[in-house]
Amino acid sequence: MDKLVAARALMGVSFVFHIIYATLGIGLPFLLMLAEGLALKTGDESWHRIARRWVLPAGVVFAIGAVSGTILSFELGLLWPRFMAFSGAMIGLAFSMEGFAFFTEAIFLSLYFYGERRLSRRGLFLCTIPLTLAAAISAIFVISANGWMNSPSGFRMVNGTPSDVLPLRAFANEAWPHEALHGTLAAYVATSFAVAGYYAALILKGRDTVEGKKALALSLAVAAVIAPLMLVTGDWAADSVAKYQKAKLAAMEAHFKTSAAAPLVIGGWPDPETRQVLYAVRIPKLLSLLAQDDPNAVVQGLDAFPQGTTPDPRLVHPFFDLMVGSFFIMTIGLGWFWWLHWRRKAVPDQPRLLKYLIFASPFGIIALESGWLVTEFGRQPWVVQGYLRTSQSVTPNSGMVAVFTTFVIVYLCLTAGMLKLLLRHRGRYEAGGKEVGHA
Amino acid sequence: MLDPVSLAALVAALALVLYALFGGADFGGGIWTALAFGPRAREQREALFNAIGPVWETNHVWLIFVVVTLFTAFPAGFAALFIALMTPLVVALVGINFRGAAYAFRHYGRSSGRELPFTARIFEIASILTPFALGMAVSATAAGSITIDNDVVATGTAVWLNPFTLMGGVIGLCICAYLAPVYMTVRVKGALQEDFRNASIAAGVVLGVTTAVMIPLALQTAPEFSHRLLGSWPMLCVGLAVLAGVATQLALLLRHYRFAQLMTGATVVFTLAGFAAALHPDLIIQEMPLRSAAAPRTTLIAYLTVLPIGAAILVPSLWFLYWTFRGEPASELPPAGKEP
Repeated sequence: MDKLVAARALMGVSFVFHIIYATLGIGLPFLLMLAEGLALKTGDESWHRIARRWVLPAGVVFAIGAVSGTILSFELGLLWPRFMAFSGAMIGLAFSMEGFAFFTEAIFLSLYFYGERRLSRRGLFLCTIPLTLAAAISAIFVISANGWMNSPSGFRMVNGTPSDVLPLRAFANEAWPHEALHGTLAAYVATSFAVAGYYAALILKGRDTVEGKKALALSLAVAAVIAPLMLVTGDWAADSVAKYQKAKLAAMEAHFKTSAAAPLVIGGWPDPETRQVLYAVRIPKLLSLLAQDDPNAVVQGLDAFPQGTTPDPRLVHPFFDLMVGSFFIMTIGLGWFWWLHWRRKAVPDQPRLLKYLIFASPFGIIALESGWLVTEFGRQPWVVQGYLRTSQSVTPNSGMVAVFTTFVIVYLCLTAGMLKLLLRHRGRYEAGGKEVGHA
Repeated sequence: MLDPVSLAALVAALALVLYALFGGADFGGGIWTALAFGPRAREQREALFNAIGPVWETNHVWLIFVVVTLFTAFPAGFAALFIALMTPLVVALVGINFRGAAYAFRHYGRSSGRELPFTARIFEIASILTPFALGMAVSATAAGSITIDNDVVATGTAVWLNPFTLMGGVIGLCICAYLAPVYMTVRVKGALQEDFRNASIAAGVVLGVTTAVMIPLALQTAPEFSHRLLGSWPMLCVGLAVLAGVATQLALLLRHYRFAQLMTGATVVFTLAGFAAALHPDLIIQEMPLRSAAAPRTTLIAYLTVLPIGAAILVPSLWFLYWTFRGEPASELPPAGKEP
């Protein structure tokens, strides 16, 4: 394994790991806020009990999210010091602002978690508002740094170094609004589905059916409101990628040859040797229509760019399809659930539906992970699109393979410990039916 | 005098001081969990553990704040430091992770004390390893061992592993071990308070001895740094740190715990202020001045503008957090799924 591969693999593993926790760290506070708000508004205490039951998973998730986020902020320097030297002055502002938001989030999370005996119920609810806002805002801010890597702006290159830096212009880059909105909303859908799956499993086992159904309906209501927005922001994102990141679009769609009236390629395996997509479904003219709003428009393919400057469609196209596919898997669950709900005027608990919801529950996270992989692989071989290659920004240090191995072990330990904790806790919960308070 | 570069450097130093005060006490809690002594060892661990609970995550956000300030305001310096100091930083990072995870698992598993001996042991080892590695990394910037030749940053063991940085690691540990028990004397009562008082006095003596030993060592191994520290106004910080340290010991002897807490904080503030003042105007001593490590003026100004806005949100929130969880530390977390 060479240094660059090891560094990229470590960064990738770290992100794949961190994104799960970051996503739940954005979504759970929102659900907490809704549940606590409903408890206060309706006087129905079961909403409060539902919210407090999320304290354990949310606490673990947030703690692991915070430590894995610390790993990432260090890895920026440990793995990519030259990237940071190049772009720190431009993307630093996004990270600093995220830092403040994250700090606020940590404070109000602690207050909500530990404050049960020290704050009033209204006080607890009020803590969930800055918590939810700060969680969303920290995501929105930090995504600006990724947006800048995709559409760098706010500087001018003079003799190979960036100058005339405009940090606010860099912060508000072209890719930021749609990436931030699409990504943050995705976190809500992903969390809602993860929570829905958990409650579907509980109801299926005949436990907690009354509160479980309430929680299930709440999480799927959030998903139902936000899922259509995913479609709208996704379309906006695709438009922007079609305009500013043409090579990424070509790789996403496995579009090898520049052509008019381009078909939309669904599924299949892109083969760069033959420039064919094997076993794919093609819908005529749809790519031209989606990208340019004209069924006969010319869409640039990978061949329109100099060799060695475009991403590998084998790493981008399948993940793009996985993202879109995951969305449809979730949409079916949502449609089914709310259709039955409307027909029966009650939360449906048909076993087939519950099993489907359990099956669909990880697809929010899967969609988010694969969407992120599309963004990142789709920018390669650049770390800063058009300016700095990933290979130019890797650390001069040797020993990257050892660092990679070390952190993979760290992640395995974290995952094993967390699974053991959550499963052991669930075992206790189920064995006793109801857990008794501790001293 | 205060141009944007110096202001940003001041912010970085302040963030480091805050991390030392809050995160340091947190690590100290872990160190004293390992060093718990006497017939009330178990109660000491419980109290430390419960005191850390509601604040440990915010305590450690200060580190992210230090890192972010460095790469926003001093990107070239950040890159050089992270190339040169890869090994101690990786060690610290592994420690931070295992510590955070062990803490969370132990906490949410609600098995304090040593019912989870393996997790407890990891928590203790990581609490010692991390401040030691960070102490090494921070002191390496003053050791004179990091060299930059034509933009090529020296790597290798000698850069971060030498008598000066080893002693820097030990001092990092001592600072943490000194902060925690003094903070605890204010939080607990009775016999436990006496225990923490004894621990504080012992830690104060050890910190005093190690910093005193550091002076001749520094004169030998880091001449430029010690010359700057002892030869000019940064010497004032050294004097104030010594005074505050002595005042802490006296206050502890006389059982004036609130004053002792204040003076402990002052000792650490002056120690680090002296370090930063002696490093100034460099980020890496004799190799990289702050000025050449710094981001363009526009970035520094944007950063310094965002700062007070963030602080206006943060400071009251933090105050509310510490105010809410003042007093006797208690196991605050109700069991998940608890019925009222």
